[in-house]
Amino acid sequence: MIGVSLRSLLSHKLRLALTTIAVILGVSFVAGTFILTDTINSTFMSIFATANAGVAVTVHGHPIAGTSGGIGGGANHPVPTSLLTTVRAVPGVKDAVGNIFREGATLIGHNGKPIGGNGPPTFGANWITDSDISPYHLRSGTPPEGPNDVVVDAGTAAKNGLVVGGSLPIVFLGGVEEHFTITGIAGYGSSDNLAGATIALFTEATAERVLDGQNKYDSILVSAQSGVTDVVLRERIAMALPSYAEAETGQQAAAAAEQSTESTISTFIGTPLLVFAFISLFVGSFLIINTFNILVAQRTRELALLRALGATRAQVMTSVLVEAAVTGFVASMLGFGVGILIARALLSVFGSTATTGITLLPRTFIVAVLVGTIVTVIAATLPARRATRIAPVAALSESLPETQDLPRRRIALGLVIFVLGCAALVAGLFTSNSVTLQLIGGGFLGVFLGVSLLAPLLVVPVATVIGWPVRRLRGAAGLLAGENARRNPRRTALTAAALMIGLALVTCVAVLTDSVRVSTNNAIEGTLRADFIVFTQGPDFDTQAAGALAKDPKLTDVTEVRVTPVLIRGSSESISAIDPSELGSVLTLSMVSGDASAIGTTNTAIVDSTEAGAAGVHMGQLVTFNFPQGATVRVRIGGIYTANALVSGYIVSIATMQPQVPTARDDVVLANAAPGVSSGQAEAALQHDVHAFPLLMAMSRSQYRTFVGAGLDSFLNLITTLLAFAIIIAVLGIANTLALSVLERTREIGVLRALGMTRSQTRSMVRWESVIISLLGAVLGLAVGLGLGVVVAGSLHDLGITNVAVPGGNLILYALAAGVFGVLAAIIPTIRAARVDILRAIATE
Amino acid sequence: MAETTTAGVSTTASDSRPIAARTTDAVKEYGKGDAMVRALDGITVAFGKGQFSAIMGPSGSGKSTLLHCIAGLDRLTSGSVHIGDIELGSLNDRQLTMLRRERVGFIFQSFNLVPTLSALDNIVLPLTIAGRKPDPAALAEVVRITGLGDRLKHRPNQLSGGQQQRVAAARALASQPEIIFADEPTGNLDSSASTDLLDFLRHAVSALGQTILMVTHDPLAAAHADRVVFLADGRVVSEMLGPTADTVLDVMRHLGD
Ligand SMILES: Nc1ncnc2c1ncn2[C@@H]1O[C@H](COP(=O)(O)OP(=O)(O)OP(=O)(O)O)[C@@H](O)[C@H]1O
Ligand SMILES: [Mg+2]
Repeated sequence: MIGVSLRSLLSHKLRLALTTIAVILGVSFVAGTFILTDTINSTFMSIFATANAGVAVTVHGHPIAGTSGGIGGGANHPVPTSLLTTVRAVPGVKDAVGNIFREGATLIGHNGKPIGGNGPPTFGANWITDSDISPYHLRSGTPPEGPNDVVVDAGTAAKNGLVVGGSLPIVFLGGVEEHFTITGIAGYGSSDNLAGATIALFTEATAERVLDGQNKYDSILVSAQSGVTDVVLRERIAMALPSYAEAETGQQAAAAAEQSTESTISTFIGTPLLVFAFISLFVGSFLIINTFNILVAQRTRELALLRALGATRAQVMTSVLVEAAVTGFVASMLGFGVGILIARALLSVFGSTATTGITLLPRTFIVAVLVGTIVTVIAATLPARRATRIAPVAALSESLPETQDLPRRRIALGLVIFVLGCAALVAGLFTSNSVTLQLIGGGFLGVFLGVSLLAPLLVVPVATVIGWPVRRLRGAAGLLAGENARRNPRRTALTAAALMIGLALVTCVAVLTDSVRVSTNNAIEGTLRADFIVFTQGPDFDTQAAGALAKDPKLTDVTEVRVTPVLIRGSSESISAIDPSELGSVLTLSMVSGDASAIGTTNTAIVDSTEAGAAGVHMGQLVTFNFPQGATVRVRIGGIYTANALVSGYIVSIATMQPQVPTARDDVVLANAAPGVSSGQAEAALQHDVHAFPLLMAMSRSQYRTFVGAGLDSFLNLITTLLAFAIIIAVLGIANTLALSVLERTREIGVLRALGMTRSQTRSMVRWESVIISLLGAVLGLAVGLGLGVVVAGSLHDLGITNVAVPGGNLILYALAAGVFGVLAAIIPTIRAARVDILRAIATE
Repeated sequence: MAETTTAGVSTTASDSRPIAARTTDAVKEYGKGDAMVRALDGITVAFGKGQFSAIMGPSGSGKSTLLHCIAGLDRLTSGSVHIGDIELGSLNDRQLTMLRRERVGFIFQSFNLVPTLSALDNIVLPLTIAGRKPDPAALAEVVRITGLGDRLKHRPNQLSGGQQQRVAAARALASQPEIIFADEPTGNLDSSASTDLLDFLRHAVSALGQTILMVTHDPLAAAHADRVVFLADGRVVSEMLGPTADTVLDVMRHLGD
């Protein structure tokens, strides 16, 4: 029996080719994701290992609450420089050096733009003179010696044409630009830089000055005398340390950094990519089911003959499943290979310089092959079960009855799954609990499965409606296209459903982004009173900028907004501070209770209604703010404002925040045009004022709106690109179904050709069938996507998504695209249909 | 009384009526070298307008091949075929398609009908393909004589084999082609359904002046024709006017196989 199924596999290899492609695409996505993240992880691993090679022990302050995780690990409190003496005095210490390493030194490239842009972070650090300990290895030039010397990492230097002796403007945290001379180029550990991040190295004195490091080190790096192990030395140092500091061995530090990096990468890259890989496989499984269904249908007589000759049901089932397993296995192997290529391509896009090769773990291979094979076999189970139901008598009957009525059981099952999906979705979206994400994911899955099961019911009505103009425009070809699309509703439905999934997800995300866009626009219109908004591409900026604007006679109401993290009831929240006297002239907050001016009283805050609801905070209540700098302040709630997409969280006066966070800088500065000054003049003045601060962006309200919109557009584009795999698979599915249908209808096409149908009419017939299937997918996809999008956007009301918007233009675009997909999918099937040899087709078997 | 001419020499339509289709020295070879089969070995034959002609002969004698070549479904290796005044060898694929569409009707042995279309839609299909509107009167007549009446809205799989063949015949008639080709149209039918179909074809010739060329194995079927042409080994070996089942059977026995 297995021999029979393998032989049949070989004879159908062409028909299976597209199934194989579906599996290959899905598996390659999975494998590519693993390889990508493994490679990035191992890059970091080797960086951390080599960078820490000479470090026996690292000393630093306790972790700053709420900053755990991230690449390289969370931030620690700094330690005073005086601690260096303490550490140096510990017996067994060979040398100890202070290490300053912080974000906030932005290099300005030859084009006047910040290097790195929105990419990897940029760090400033002190040059460490002890070359045993230092992770920095000079490649050319000399270490920094003077106050205006800088050494840059080799990766950044190569990418941006920085050379020894060149001059380099650098903008520091406050947004102030200073000019430096490049004295050297250095590598980090054994690589060019820290996985793409930019590093600028200064003398210790300069680093302390420009990086806010006065008398503080981020850590102290210690080397051991020979004969003293790291572990022993760590223990000795730990004994000597005051309570605010802790010590770990170089290996521990590297391991901790690695672990944190790994989980960060898996959260931000691995998991999202795997979600999209799963979607591709899910869509691919539709294609697999359809292919095997059609193959089983076409082999009905053969299978019936086998049954008549004494094959058991189990043997028939096994024969189909073995075929699936072999197909899945071969395709998975190929998919693994393609995954390697994808990972390579992505790595070069991510611009990872340090990579010498890619990391292939056995796990990747095993998971890829298992997933591909199992998905294929599971998808083939339904067709295999159908194959077992073929009666031996079917071998003898002349024409095969096509059973097309959807069994009630299936309708009921579809309805149940659909309703359960909706319920899970609503539960996930509108209640908060530990399985929210699982509920939402399961909800989407349920909705898609349910609609797919019910879709055959929609085929006839929808195909009739879509088919009508086709019939009018394309005569016989159009008529037959419509009839062909309807003749096997389950096959058409399953084919269209695969496209539905991709389109529904794109539509859902489009609705979401448009809702965010409209809500933000409304918030900008309704909440932002200021004519101008100034913000930075860096973390925050010096109050000097606001000072400069305040001096400009063409501007008025220049208002600083400062943001700082605080711990409130154990969770890290960002609180904003603003000048109460200016609040009313730059922002309009709609108040649920109390008044915005309440923040004029020291230690009084207003909070948005969502946060208040979630935290159970009410008017007049006292809330404890734990500032990371150490102070604890009890703040009274003086007002609650309606949540919106622009302003959220706790707001206090600058006077309340200032004493706790004296170094706080500005996050946003708002301003109005001075009375009598046209907005054009005011804007020109503003742009002129911020020119001295290269990282600052100054915009009018409408420019800001466009800016926010552009960000949303690129988000939508990113998601659409990631869903392209799923959509490509669905389009392949249409091509596959059509190709198999054409094969099945060879005789019919021969008769039509004999009756005078031209080749181009034949092509047209197949092409329009394809378009009808795609449009059916589009109708389902847009409808389901709209539903999902509206529900999901509706659930985000509390996050300030107050408007649910439907992007009509996008939807029309998607429907048109689906039509084009139909035409593309039909290319090969139309060629095959037009090539049908009339004589061979009508010759009786 | 049946007239029979004997073998070998070229045969033409036996009376002076205009010619609907003819072949001259038609040769069709399949394959190459040792595997080469000469399915038609120099056939010169003509079929008159308004005549019901049958082609008979042993299996493998080239009947289907001849029919396909005359109908423009296949090309000769050498020689020529004319339908009316048109020489088919000079036509390209598209022109052949147009010729089939405009001038030719077909009835195959089975699977004639498009399963997704109703009987009526199948009948008018060639017209639909050509983008023509059926002539209502002619259509009504064709439909009437099929005797399908109330079953016109049914799909092919809801019709019996005999009914399906009558729909196929009605389809061939509906476009009022110059000539209808039928390859063993009764091959899958029992004797009563066969008789129905043959009476229908006979009526189309006698009452409507249709030209029909039919390949058959069945002497009873051939007896419905005006004239029978006998093939053996790719050649015309005999022909007969006004055939009856008995005379046809005689010749067939004589041809042996
Ligand atoms: N496509 C082909 N390739 C090779 N040989 C062919 C092909 N078609 C027909 N032949 C051969 O040509 C000869 C004539 O075949 P044809 O089908 O015309 O016979 P027929 O008289 O219709 O027979 P039957 O009564 O069995 O239908 C046969 O020997 C057949 O094997
Ligand atoms: Mg034949």
